[in-house]
Amino acid sequence: MITLAGVSKTYKNGVNALYDINLEIKQGEFVYIIGPTGSGKSTLIKLLDGEEVPTKGNVDVVGINVGKLKHSRVPLYRRNIGVVFQDFRLLEAKTVFENISYALEVINMKKDIIRHRVRQVMNLVGLDDKGSSFPNELSGGQQQRVAIARAIANKPKVLIADEPTGNLDPVKSDEIMTLLEKINREEGTTILMVTHDITLVNKHRKRTIVLENGHVAADLSEGGYIKHVQ
Amino acid sequence: MFSRFIRHIKEGFFGVGRHAAMSISSASAVTITLIIISIFVIFTVNVNSMTNKIEGDVQISVMIDYNYESQENIDRIGLAIKELPGVDVVTFSSKEEELNFFIDSFTDEHEKEIFESYREDNPMHNAYYVKIKDGNDLQALKTQIDAIEGVANSNYGGESSVMLVDALGSVRTGGFVIVVALSLLAIFLIQNTIKVTILARANEIAIMRNVGAKNGFIRAPFVVEGMIIGALGAIIPIFATIFGYIFAYSKLNGILISSMFIMIPPHPFVLQISLLLVGVGMLVGLIGSFLSVTKYLRWKR
Repeated sequence: MITLAGVSKTYKNGVNALYDINLEIKQGEFVYIIGPTGSGKSTLIKLLDGEEVPTKGNVDVVGINVGKLKHSRVPLYRRNIGVVFQDFRLLEAKTVFENISYALEVINMKKDIIRHRVRQVMNLVGLDDKGSSFPNELSGGQQQRVAIARAIANKPKVLIADEPTGNLDPVKSDEIMTLLEKINREEGTTILMVTHDITLVNKHRKRTIVLENGHVAADLSEGGYIKHVQ
Repeated sequence: MFSRFIRHIKEGFFGVGRHAAMSISSASAVTITLIIISIFVIFTVNVNSMTNKIEGDVQISVMIDYNYESQENIDRIGLAIKELPGVDVVTFSSKEEELNFFIDSFTDEHEKEIFESYREDNPMHNAYYVKIKDGNDLQALKTQIDAIEGVANSNYGGESSVMLVDALGSVRTGGFVIVVALSLLAIFLIQNTIKVTILARANEIAIMRNVGAKNGFIRAPFVVEGMIIGALGAIIPIFATIFGYIFAYSKLNGILISSMFIMIPPHPFVLQISLLLVGVGMLVGLIGSFLSVTKYLRWKR
């Protein structure tokens, strides 16, 4: 599903973000990526969603060599992956329903199919009764649920969650974790979750990839907190 | 496909409304530009029409020598003139017609009678009237016509008409250059406005990119927005043009300075100018916003 072979990334300003990364993530896996600030987590996500191109090596996602994609093909590739951010990134002027349907309108899906699918994902994330609410009327946890619903609306094969619980209290974080596990289980979506939350990593144990200074410091299939990670 | 088109139009209008203050500011920039463009276009088109009229009026009259009055010679000279490059229309006028024309130019019956006596021994020349394609060729053609065997002499309106044609030609070219320069300025202004709009909506664009919107899909509402701003900017110039030109035309009785400068009648001229202004406004909006969004999308992968 996701293969990184000998991937290095050096930015134009000379900063080396990643060194010779080799990773293999299988379909349906749920993987944590943890590491301190500046360890290369953000760069890894940017390489996976096609925003950045590796300096060396290949990034292969759902059979597509992401680094070799033409500029104009990047949007089509992105339809295979959903991304969730720490700051939710919802459109404030649109309702919950519109925020989710937006992701499907953009890819030119038919209206009746959009309505059906939006209701389906709203039910999945537990927001059936919030369709006509605006983002600023919702709690942080609910907003993140909307963002997750939007990210999985077009049934992407991969969901990348960039610190999805970073702005939430422990109870809400736990709820989001449970939701992601449900999506992983019910929709068969491969999930990559970048996090700082040690409690979550320890409580919901998954394969954990530890990045440090641009290197893979550990890849633990049994998961759990690594002592030297801050 | 159609619903997508409608969606872009809707989003475009929505964008104009959402950034009302910014839209108004750039529409006003377009307004000022279009007003100046309108003035120059009206001026240039009028000058053009006057120039064409003067150029059309400029003709060379060619007198045929008394010793070459046989039909054979007349035909030969006529053919020789027609074959000269730059000659448009050649009209023959016999010496009898010339005399009639001369006599008819008097209004007094007594004077007319005096000249009637000339019919016995007509002093007029057979003549050709030569209309030319381009006023600039006047002098050169006269020289060539004079060289034809059997031509007594030829003359035209004189240097002043040639100079006028030249002067009006320069005004026309100058007007055109200014119109192009102003259009470029308007494009630049719209480009900047749309750039600010884009930055204000960077978040939305980022989301669109994340969910897999193609560049064309992201670009379309901005381009529509640019076109709407351009069209809005054309409203005041259109009204100013319609009422201003009709007012000026009626005030001046359609004549500028002398009867040689006849203004183009307002209908349908002002409507054509109005269409041109909307067209230029929308085109300028389209180009400005297209350049702006394309530039933004290019450096964001």
